[in-house]
Amino acid sequence: MSTTQTFEYSRAMPPVDHDDPVQGETMMVNMGPQHPATHGVLRLVVRLDGETMEYIDPDVGFLHRGKEKTCESLGWHKFFPHTDRLDYVQPLLNNIAYAMACEKLAGITVPERGQVVRVLLMEVSRIAAHLIYIGTTSIDLGAVSNFFYSFEQRELIYSILDAYTGHRMNNTYVRIGGVYADVDENVERMLEKFLDEFPEKLQVLERLLTGNRIWYGRNRGVGLVSKENAMAWSLTGPNLRGSGVDWDLRKRQPYCGYETYDFDIPVGTVGDCYDRYLVRMEEMRQSCRIAKQALERLKQTRGAEVLAEDRKYVLPPKALVHRSMEELIFQFKVVTDLCLPVGEAYQAVESSKGELGFYVRSDGTSNPLRCHIRAPGLMNVQAIPLLGNGRLLSDLVAIIGSLDFVMGEVDR
Amino acid sequence: MVIVRRKELSLLEKLYLPEIARGLSITFRKLFEKKITRQYPEEPLPKDEVTRGQPRLVVKDDGNIACVSCGMCEIACPAYAITIDGGETDRAIEREPVHFEIDMLRCILCGFCEEACPKDAIFMSDELELADYSRGALIYDLAKLKRPKSALQKRIDYVYRLNNRWRKSPSTR
Ligand code: SF4
Ligand code: SF4
Repeated sequence: MSTTQTFEYSRAMPPVDHDDPVQGETMMVNMGPQHPATHGVLRLVVRLDGETMEYIDPDVGFLHRGKEKTCESLGWHKFFPHTDRLDYVQPLLNNIAYAMACEKLAGITVPERGQVVRVLLMEVSRIAAHLIYIGTTSIDLGAVSNFFYSFEQRELIYSILDAYTGHRMNNTYVRIGGVYADVDENVERMLEKFLDEFPEKLQVLERLLTGNRIWYGRNRGVGLVSKENAMAWSLTGPNLRGSGVDWDLRKRQPYCGYETYDFDIPVGTVGDCYDRYLVRMEEMRQSCRIAKQALERLKQTRGAEVLAEDRKYVLPPKALVHRSMEELIFQFKVVTDLCLPVGEAYQAVESSKGELGFYVRSDGTSNPLRCHIRAPGLMNVQAIPLLGNGRLLSDLVAIIGSLDFVMGEVDR
Repeated sequence: MVIVRRKELSLLEKLYLPEIARGLSITFRKLFEKKITRQYPEEPLPKDEVTRGQPRLVVKDDGNIACVSCGMCEIACPAYAITIDGGETDRAIEREPVHFEIDMLRCILCGFCEEACPKDAIFMSDELELADYSRGALIYDLAKLKRPKSALQKRIDYVYRLNNRWRKSPSTR
């Protein structure tokens, strides 16, 4: 077992020995910020010795939009659309994570059916996000048809979300206290059809990649992370599990009733890009399993509430607002002055990239005192030097792909 | 916990040539599957009441605008897209907007205005296309925002259907 490498190890640029005939000819290369393989705008400063990377410095911040500060100035409720735009391949999952932090702070209990809908949305979002990983990573490594096939499946998911929320992306359909609307039978049917067919479609993707010699050669043994390193570098999610650590928040710190679902956590053995790929593939299958169970529960709880009845934090239904003065006052109060109690809360969920946490702190006013987003993508980016140092430049593309981050979330 | 299985390449897979044939057979079969792409402007996306397009103001059947310029949507808007200038009217409700502007370039179609409006005056239409020759033309004023109630009726019914929560609460009785 290798020992833990310290942080300084990869940060400090090793000095160049100019007298050395070989070393003196190193080259600094800027990869990005517009490099297509960087999944957004990430700049990597790479020092090359021949084709070997000696030093990699990820330069983040090109997509910085000040989301945390925006949360403080916008207020509790109005931040929801902004969470969509963090990790924009799984907007609903971000919505839910933020809503759960607020609920924890306010002590709101989400009704049973609301939780089930949330689980369903989270798992479907996870599948969509992993499909993007498969698509973009495979196109980066030269497998173009896979890109189209995975995006085809993702398209189906987006059509379902469109039928449910009215938007394909940036759905903003989660509210403090539950979800905005119930999943109707039409959406249920669409979901059922999709979940039934998906494992088969996934197998096609797998057949094109798993035994593919090029895919195999470019991923196997590339970007190795040991168990210890993965933990020391705060990797979470599939990147941590790929290294053989059995850690999934859905099992370890269950939320939304995940403990009542039957699913397995896929774990890798070696910790290279190939393992991370296998873990994600299996995870999609498990997500499919959870989503099916959630769908079953939806059918059993038809007609139950999806939004907590709480007049302090949740907008009353429209029909009531027209009929009663009190409800109108509540409506005004919630829209104009939604205040969460004094205190702080941290809620983490297992997103497709790892532990996505929201830390919110309130001083009792309608604006949060502090909102911090623990974005798993940032930790993934920070591990690039650890994985890439000493490897060939072409491996960097595979490493970036397999770490799977979205810059919207990294830079926030 | 399941440990993912790493399998070694079989001889056929190592040889690669048969694999090319197998891969091509997969891609070739796709040719005959149903296409999922759409020729967008010619074949527009299906729109229904679920579609959350641009917000529009309701004009009631008697020809008056339903908005009372209470400013709730203005406050609820996370993109600061709405600007309202309220004024007086002789009608019983006493107030109506003199100016009501939605900057469509700012609007993110989140639907918070629809949710916040206590007077059923603003609803998300199914109008999605947004293109013009100047930025100024995309700041929609009252004239551009008004829609007869009948045009939005399906969405209004849909929102009411969504909003039927808390049925067991005492105040709904
Ligand atoms: S919330 Fe409704 S009534 Fe109030 S200003 Fe907006 S559109 Fe008009
Ligand atoms: S849809 Fe959202 S962004 Fe657009 S005007 Fe309404 S509240 Fe503002």
